[in-house]
Amino acid sequence: MEKTWDQLEELQPTVLKMLKNSLLKNRVAHAYLFEGMRGTGKKEVGLLLTKALFCESLIEGYKPCETCNNCRRIQSGNHPDVHIVEPDGLSIKVDQIRSLQTEFSKKGVESLKKVYLISHADKMSVSASNSLLKFLEEPNPGTVAFLLTEQLQQLLPTILSRCQILTFKPLAPKVMMKQLVENGVAPVKAPLLAQLTNNLDEALKLNVDEWFAQAQKIVVKLYEVLKKNPLEAMVMLQSDWFSHFKEKEQIHRGLDLLLLIFKDLLYIQLDKQEQMVFIEEDERLRQFALQTSGRRISDQMSAILEAKRKLQANMNPQLMMEQLVLKLQEGSSFV
Amino acid sequence: MKEMYPKNGRVILHVDMNSFFASVEMAYDPTLKGKPLAIAGNVEERRGIIVTCSYEARKFGVKTTMPLWEAKKLCPQLVVRKPNFDRYRAASLGMFEILRQYTHLVEPVSIDEGYMDISESFEFGSPIEIAESIQKRVLEQLDLPCSIGIAPNKFLAKMASDMKKPMGITILRKRDITKILWPMNTNEMHGVGKKTAEKLTTIGIHTIGDLAMGNEIQLKSLLGINGIRIRERANGIDQRPVDPESVAEFKSIGNSTTLPRDVSNQQELFHVLESLAETVSVRLKRKNVLASTLGITIRYKDRKTITRSKKLPNPINHKDDLSSFAKQLLLKSWNGDPVRLLGITGNDLVEQDHAYKQLDLFSYEKDAKKEPLLNTLASLREKYGKSIIEKAASHNVDSSQNVGTGTSFNKDFLRSFPDKKHEVD
Amino acid sequence: MKFIIQRDRLVQSVQDVMKAVTSRTTIPILTGIKIAATSEGVTLTGSDSDISIESFIPKEDAGHEIVEIKQSGAIVLQAKFFSEIVKKLPTDSVEIEVLGSLQTVIRSGKSEFNLNGLDAEEYPHLPQIEENNKFHIATDLLKAMIRQTHFAVSTSETRPILTGVNWKIENDELICIATDSHRLALRKAKIETDNHENYNVVIPGKSLNELNKIIDDTNEPIDIVITENQILFKAKHLLFFSRLLEGNYPDTSRLIPNESKTAVTVNTKEFLHAIDRASLLAREGRNNVVKFSIIEGGSIEISSNTPEVGKVVEEIQSQSIEGEDLKISFSAKYMMDALKALEGTDINVSFTGAMRPFVIRPLHDETILQLILPVRTY
Repeated sequence: MEKTWDQLEELQPTVLKMLKNSLLKNRVAHAYLFEGMRGTGKKEVGLLLTKALFCESLIEGYKPCETCNNCRRIQSGNHPDVHIVEPDGLSIKVDQIRSLQTEFSKKGVESLKKVYLISHADKMSVSASNSLLKFLEEPNPGTVAFLLTEQLQQLLPTILSRCQILTFKPLAPKVMMKQLVENGVAPVKAPLLAQLTNNLDEALKLNVDEWFAQAQKIVVKLYEVLKKNPLEAMVMLQSDWFSHFKEKEQIHRGLDLLLLIFKDLLYIQLDKQEQMVFIEEDERLRQFALQTSGRRISDQMSAILEAKRKLQANMNPQLMMEQLVLKLQEGSSFV
Repeated sequence: MKEMYPKNGRVILHVDMNSFFASVEMAYDPTLKGKPLAIAGNVEERRGIIVTCSYEARKFGVKTTMPLWEAKKLCPQLVVRKPNFDRYRAASLGMFEILRQYTHLVEPVSIDEGYMDISESFEFGSPIEIAESIQKRVLEQLDLPCSIGIAPNKFLAKMASDMKKPMGITILRKRDITKILWPMNTNEMHGVGKKTAEKLTTIGIHTIGDLAMGNEIQLKSLLGINGIRIRERANGIDQRPVDPESVAEFKSIGNSTTLPRDVSNQQELFHVLESLAETVSVRLKRKNVLASTLGITIRYKDRKTITRSKKLPNPINHKDDLSSFAKQLLLKSWNGDPVRLLGITGNDLVEQDHAYKQLDLFSYEKDAKKEPLLNTLASLREKYGKSIIEKAASHNVDSSQNVGTGTSFNKDFLRSFPDKKHEVD
Repeated sequence: MKFIIQRDRLVQSVQDVMKAVTSRTTIPILTGIKIAATSEGVTLTGSDSDISIESFIPKEDAGHEIVEIKQSGAIVLQAKFFSEIVKKLPTDSVEIEVLGSLQTVIRSGKSEFNLNGLDAEEYPHLPQIEENNKFHIATDLLKAMIRQTHFAVSTSETRPILTGVNWKIENDELICIATDSHRLALRKAKIETDNHENYNVVIPGKSLNELNKIIDDTNEPIDIVITENQILFKAKHLLFFSRLLEGNYPDTSRLIPNESKTAVTVNTKEFLHAIDRASLLAREGRNNVVKFSIIEGGSIEISSNTPEVGKVVEEIQSQSIEGEDLKISFSAKYMMDALKALEGTDINVSFTGAMRPFVIRPLHDETILQLILPVRTY
């Protein structure tokens, strides 16, 4: 999917500013390493900069026009001096790097400029990495390399030291939601996922995770029970909660979900429904919001955060949850 | 049967295949039998030369290295075939297989001849019975003729096998020398070439008998150490043992080592390779061979073992070359996991005399600088014999004891796991 | 685009440009043949990005109409299909028409093919001939120069620059040099240039081999243009482009010895045949090495010894031997390659030592030389 300079600048302002300066000062590096989570725009930025290097009519001296012959051929994969390497199956094979090497032992087809872009560079085999190293060490003038990776630590230190490393920031929730929807997540589910993680992969995994679907139901149920009576909440912890949230990680996730419910209630009270994440529970949450006060919600939220701290400090999870349930119910008898 | 064997001496056989290439072709295509047959390169072109020919062709005067057109003139009905070296190799393997059934002391000399020491083989019969049985089996199983010489040493056995061809068996006893060998011309003697024979005539030596009684000092000044040697031979003396471990027999030399602990530090692994390279280098030099292919073995912590090898541009035996290629291979094949065992093997060994280094336009000066030194060495060797000067590293006092034990990588491999033999492979 | 063309001419041109097309390309547009119609005629282009071939079919040839252009334009058609289709069309004339949206119709007699084309704008841009920047050389001389040098290029990718032939143009002279670092071939010739400029470029050996195959052995001149990244050869109605190699070719001029310690003159054919015979057995061994020794009486001995197979010794008479005695060993293959590349009945070999490169030249011919590095024994 094609993205313009301005769109990508919104996504990765720091990276784009850096690259803009390099282009304007004519100081583009021989090799860049783009590092960051999936969906952060590494490949789009790589292609954008490639276009900027070949573009016949740059806008303001750095933005590719996206309409000239070179820009269009880079987009369609038909530019003979732009080479994109993707993993062949699970890894990038030494043969793929070798054919790149032969390619770069020759001058360009149309000019002296050449670009190669290696996606998932961490998936290069040891020998592929060593072959690549050889030509990172002796770059040809006019050749620019882009290595993309989601796992920086998997690359050989000798490769890292020969590249200019640019870190791509995780996606902001809003951008993340958009990407989730683009990746087939139901729009009503996207906001919650975007709140919980800024890693696109993790979010997509959660979206189809059975445990996580169940967890959401239990958390909503806990909130409902909390409003009834203390005893029932304790019973519910025994019957549903403890058996589902076993590992520390899982309990944290449960508490995060709980926190988001209170946050939603607050948004409703503040008339900022558009920021809600439990969109599917919209109706019920509106009901609940009528029965509480902003002050109380914020107390309850601090109680949850306090519980998370205790959990982190290795407090017994059962004791911690029971304490939390009592805390969350404080003052409810007055209503 | 033991009474047919000498009490103190040895019994040596020299088995020589008769016009080997031509015979193999006839075995493949029996319609060629009885016809004058020649094997030649470039059959289509007139300028091909005869590599070998059948006895039928020899009757017409056709000889090895004769140009094809000349041979055709002498023998217009000559049948000409191209060489099929794969067939010859297969036939050769079959032949040595038969020889080894009588003794393990079989020394192949070339593709079509070999020595056997049958001093202890009396269970198979008298020497002449063994020779007859070999000749019969080679003929029946491979359809190939051979001549066999029986004598107390290699030189005489070789001379004997030459005396009756094809399908001869000749016994040459020491006491027969004066009668049979001495009247022969020196150029008919094994180990005396055309040039040496010419040189010998300059001091009045024409027959083997002349040589046997020649003046030692005169011979030494004329031919160097070789003069003494051929005089001994002329007197029927030859102490050389039949050595089954001669170069053609071993294919690789290697060493491996289990590390005291699992190592994943590249620098440490390099050090291990350097010391392995040194050991392998000493052993290669001791055998006077060089490796044309280098292999490394990496065994990981989880016992997964990989071997990788590389064909070298030029054969090597120097420790620095061995370790630098081994390091390159390690970098290429090591996945970064902790290593438990490392090994280096030299494969495709070539004898030093037949090993060549193709010089490089951009680096030949390094070799050319050594030229005067190498020339001096060569002339010294010619004068005093091959073993008079060796480079310090290849000098070895008790070679007979070290050579032949653990020459193959597998043996070393076994030694490094004395209690875990079943895990090798 | 719409034109009607004689089928035979189209088939011939398609066959020519197909020599550059490969199915193993990562660039989708290169699986196609570009067809461009102008008021002058029709141009076909095929390319694998390393080499590109353009074939031009003029509107008229010797007064006969070959193409009737109805509307100019350009399209890229899948080479695999297009080349098969034109070969099998039923009648002598073919109509090719691009409808809207890249849809292309090929009509011949009663058959009609509809092919989906690709946008010609996407096709690589090849350098243009600048009229004042070219030089020319007779085609048969060019072919000889390629044949005499390109065999010596390296086939190993360890030093990619050596996989090409170095072309230098200095003082209106073209010098072609190839080396794989074990032997070197050099050939010079005078050329006619328009601008007297100097060049120093490296052309992939493979490209020259292809060029040699596609151009006819005539004495007509061929135009050559060198740009910063490509070289192009222009014969009648045919353009051949090759990418150049990246990097600097090593300076070989100081590596070619110009003195001589031993000089030998022999008959080329006799020498070649003797080496061939001596290597007959050596070929079976590991090395294919033959030994060359000067022996008494103005003779040369060529020998080889392969332990498991046997020995060959042969004497050949030389016309003259000057200087020191010598024993030297070298690869029989390199020697035969070199001798086959030389013209002339007699050659002169000059040595400067057993471990130094030696030079082979035809007698009385300074335009060509072959250099070989010997082997050393251990």
